[in-house]
Amino acid sequence: MIKTLLFSTFISLVLSACSLEPVQPWDRDLLAQQKMQLVADPLEIYLDEHTYFSKEASSGGQGVGGGGCGCN
Amino acid sequence: MFSRLPAFFAALLIFLALPIFATEPAPDFTLPTFPDNIEINLKDFKGRVVYLDFWATWCPPCRKSFPWMDEIHERYKDEGLSIIAVTLDKKREQIEQFIKKTEPAFIIAHDPTGRVAKTYQLRAMPTTYLIDRNGHLVMTHTGFRSIDKERLETIIQEQLEK
Amino acid sequence: MQLKKRRQDPRNIRHQLAAATCGLLAGSSHASSLIASGDNWKIDSALLIYAEKDRVSLAEGVLSISKEIDDDEFINARIVTDVLTGSSPNGAVPSSTAQTFTNPSGNSTYTEAANSTPLNHTFKDLRNALNVEWDTPLSRSLRGTLGGNISREYDYLSTGISASLAQDINQRHTTLTVGLSVNKDTWDPVGGVPVGFAVMPTYPAKKALDGANADKTVKEILLGVTQIINRQTLMQINYSRGQGSGYLTDPYKILSVLENDGSGNLRSTNPYIYENRPDQRTYQSLYWKGVHQFPNENVLNLSYRYFWDDWGIQSHTVDLRYRFDFDGGHYLQPHLRYYQQAAADFYRQTLTDSEETTLSYASADYRLGEFVTQTIGLKYGFEFKNGAEINFRAEMITQKGKDRRADAVGLLQNQQLFPDNEAYLLQGGLSLDSDMLIKYIMRFFK
Repeated sequence: MIKTLLFSTFISLVLSACSLEPVQPWDRDLLAQQKMQLVADPLEIYLDEHTYFSKEASSGGQGVGGGGCGCN
Repeated sequence: MFSRLPAFFAALLIFLALPIFATEPAPDFTLPTFPDNIEINLKDFKGRVVYLDFWATWCPPCRKSFPWMDEIHERYKDEGLSIIAVTLDKKREQIEQFIKKTEPAFIIAHDPTGRVAKTYQLRAMPTTYLIDRNGHLVMTHTGFRSIDKERLETIIQEQLEK
Repeated sequence: MQLKKRRQDPRNIRHQLAAATCGLLAGSSHASSLIASGDNWKIDSALLIYAEKDRVSLAEGVLSISKEIDDDEFINARIVTDVLTGSSPNGAVPSSTAQTFTNPSGNSTYTEAANSTPLNHTFKDLRNALNVEWDTPLSRSLRGTLGGNISREYDYLSTGISASLAQDINQRHTTLTVGLSVNKDTWDPVGGVPVGFAVMPTYPAKKALDGANADKTVKEILLGVTQIINRQTLMQINYSRGQGSGYLTDPYKILSVLENDGSGNLRSTNPYIYENRPDQRTYQSLYWKGVHQFPNENVLNLSYRYFWDDWGIQSHTVDLRYRFDFDGGHYLQPHLRYYQQAAADFYRQTLTDSEETTLSYASADYRLGEFVTQTIGLKYGFEFKNGAEINFRAEMITQKGKDRRADAVGLLQNQQLFPDNEAYLLQGGLSLDSDMLIKYIMRFFK
């Protein structure tokens, strides 16, 4: 169920990318907001990545570097 | 020989007019002030040197330029400098919060749709345009860094002395 | 709680390069509502508690400090401390009778009851890590980041450096990023590094050693494109490639070896051997992320990653966060994550007698197996008028593994070879700047 919901949201979002509009410098107010950043809460992302790195065989994707513990 | 005289004078006129061609007149505009919504026109500022700055509360270098603009305003307002800081913020509340904190002494104008910014072909935030006493655009400067302060002040002084 | 009055959180677009895995989160240190300008330091802190049912528990503290040292030039330092307690599966499968294992030190034994997953009682482990980063403009549209990291546990040391460049093009609608990193790690395991496939000796015999410590090098490269779609939407696509070489095995994990008669009984002599993984691993991933703001000011954050490597592991990760903003600076953010992994080629839950002489590699580490992890969580946050923020989040993580039919031989068909793992996660965070901190401290002592 979760799988279906997530994949359908993903598809609709990707389709919206087909409409590229130029955004003027003064219209970048929303994109400047903290909550609109690709990594809105760096500590939360770091802690999540650390947790999943110790429990799963995959890592990264969002950036480079790390390694760092004997947990995997 | 006399048939060449008109051509000579035409060339002389063009040569003398070249300094004028080097700068274009700054596009005129009408904008409301913030928060009082009083209409101001650029042409009313003829005779004064105008420091036209486009900014927004969500742009960090824009916010950093405010204390310096206050200083410059204090220093040169009696020598003929007028600062018009045009905010491109879409939300009045954010402008109010910022104005309350910084209490600028210079004019704040509001351009929420970016109409005037578009006329001035704004490419980045902040961008400053310096307009001389004859209404000509003499300088365009993008961004605001601490190293820019000295150079900007020198150019302002030059224009005020004219 | 209908309206969404926006708190002041102005930021230029920051095309961040955030790192995964245990150590590093590069390029995002100053991405917060508080601006570290002038003499002001920005401080982000978080406390995390992670607890698995009957297994590992972790408490972790993070402190991140940023400062703007020159126009748009930042330095960041991040300190992490974590304490790990509890136990984790040692790789052996449950049996209908009690089992006795020798501790890694070789100085004692531990017993696992019948019909329960053998767990290695993790030594209480303390880890400290430091990450520093310098982020600076190189030209009007080019940014560079340099980072260094070090992490230390009593049996593991990791050091690394990373560098990245971000170039804005197309009137700042597009950003191209390239990142590189190198990490050099050293295992200094308790009792030494066991020879791959060596038997777990019966106490007081000691295991065959391949040295006291072992090294590992990991190199990574990332290529990314970030694109502004429209005023409300931003997307990023990254391709990453990594290479690990050296000692990639887990020195504490073992495999159960069964009699070759299909009974599912353990081999009568030396039924446990240490695992052995290849000394090379190349992995790649494709990562997509989209951020979109709706007219009601709520924000959707969705990402998908496809990961694959030359060990046969493949995974899909979908992560979704949706932020509801409320009047007064409060927000709620539900979180869903779905992760699906296909097992490594050499993943086995059991071996049969003499397979260790024919196989090159084998590991029963459940983390290399076939499983699905589902996470559901909720975060609450409050943004103060001055830009400070406090937040809390709680998550439930469920890992459902798949028993490997081929290894569930005979009696083992009555056992749970890959039991589900349930964990909860609690986190509290606080962000403020040094001016505020000093003010609060002064007020406290008045």
